[in-house]
Amino acid sequence: MSDLTTTDVAALAAALGLPVTPDDLVEVTHRLNALVEALAPLADLPLETVEPTPALADEQPAS
Amino acid sequence: MADRADLAFLGARRLAGLVRDRQLSPVELTRLYLERIERLDGRLRAYITVLPEAALASARRAEAVVMRGDTLPPLHGVPYAVKDQFDTAGVRTTSGSRILEGHVPTADATTIARLNAAGGILLGKLNLTEFALGGTQQFPFGQPRNPWNPDHDPGGSSSGSGIAVSAALCAASLGEDTGGSVRSPASFCGVIGLRPTWGRVSRHGSFPLSWSMDTPGPLSRTVEDAAWLLQAIAGYDPNDPLTSRAPVPDYPRALGDGVRGLRIGIIRELTFGADTEPEVRDAVLAAARKLEGLGAVTEEVSLRLVPLAGAIFMALADADGAGVHHRWLRTRPADYDQGTRRRLLTASLIPSAIQQRAARARALLRAEMLDLLARHDVLLCPTAHQAAPPIAAARAAITTRHEAAGRFFTRRSYVTPAALAGTPAIAVPCGFTRSGLPIGVQLIARRFDEATLLRAAHAYEQATDWSRRPPGTV
Repeated sequence: MSDLTTTDVAALAAALGLPVTPDDLVEVTHRLNALVEALAPLADLPLETVEPTPALADEQPAS
Repeated sequence: MADRADLAFLGARRLAGLVRDRQLSPVELTRLYLERIERLDGRLRAYITVLPEAALASARRAEAVVMRGDTLPPLHGVPYAVKDQFDTAGVRTTSGSRILEGHVPTADATTIARLNAAGGILLGKLNLTEFALGGTQQFPFGQPRNPWNPDHDPGGSSSGSGIAVSAALCAASLGEDTGGSVRSPASFCGVIGLRPTWGRVSRHGSFPLSWSMDTPGPLSRTVEDAAWLLQAIAGYDPNDPLTSRAPVPDYPRALGDGVRGLRIGIIRELTFGADTEPEVRDAVLAAARKLEGLGAVTEEVSLRLVPLAGAIFMALADADGAGVHHRWLRTRPADYDQGTRRRLLTASLIPSAIQQRAARARALLRAEMLDLLARHDVLLCPTAHQAAPPIAAARAAITTRHEAAGRFFTRRSYVTPAALAGTPAIAVPCGFTRSGLPIGVQLIARRFDEATLLRAAHAYEQATDWSRRPPGTV
């Protein structure tokens, strides 16, 4: 995924009704690009067959 | 009996013993902590709300029960405090935010009701990063400070819970751990911090961040105290349908069983990785050697997805948080701290494809951890890659994506694997940096096997004196 610009982020935020001020916009853009970049290696993993289940409360209690 | 100055540092269970033996009055003990709060908390800012009248009234009732000779619950007469994320009937509960500064719940959270039933005396409500998110720039109720060096971060999000135990402003405290929020302040402040198995402790009455990871947990001066506090709060709660119906073991009873033959896996990526500071690595490896000396068997193990755990966590937990804050983010954005608002705005924009991929990676990481835990009783690694950083570093503006990655993902990769896997984990003091800041080792166990976790932590604690040293500034 290519880098998002502040213009992209402002447009996304406006579409979602989020009040992103010009002061917030630069940092929010850095944060979002950092997250997308950090998770990019996941694209190389065989995740298609993995079900996205969180932990379940009564699973595997210690015997 | 210890002199008055040392009493405050004795820990909850020893204090309860003195109360039971009529060597110590709950009223005298409560006054001692209230005096320490009055003297020290103007600087440390552990508390948002202190309850002197209510605490003393509870202490007088507790004293009357002792004098009547009634059977006493395990924490009878022990003053404790809780993160201001937990509802307390008739006492404002802010979650560390101006948005809730006037919020007064009508009922106690399940954990609070259970601690009170165990005999605890509620001293007050403790400071936290806003809405337990982390990254608060300007704390609405005062900047919490590390008792070991007030210019340094006490950790979060249960910041006040770590400070108050470390500086003996209460005998023990309750925090909440979504992705390290009990263990990080415990490590930075040099105390014990336990994250129970997700589902072991009710979340009812605590302000939510991420439904599949939020877990209340104790911070304490000793592992024994953590066991007793867990005993008090653990168990099924009909008000939280995700709590487990599995029986609650007798946690304190197994504490003394030692670690002989215990199989401990040292997580390579977190212990030897480039992000781990050498002082931290050396202290954690010394802790592993100490456990070996006590009879445990250690070996290095690998968790290949661990370096991505912090980012996976934020893609999932922050997105949950954005959902929780959906309305206020649009109607009251200026009432959030700037750091909180920017984190929630970012989370609101995470593409669903990335969230889905992170959720699948979480399941994979969890499977890796459970596989390792099938072959090892305990996993071991640092609680954080460094000791408490200066407060100023956490407040600096983020001007590049690399700064954002360094500040948010690296440190979270140490504490989020247990959160993502739903396993219990405990932070235990294991040394100090040359500049005198605490270092914590983290132990992780199988789901619902807190007994083994506490046993290993107790054996290590008894063989060292790191957690018995009080901070020099208090």
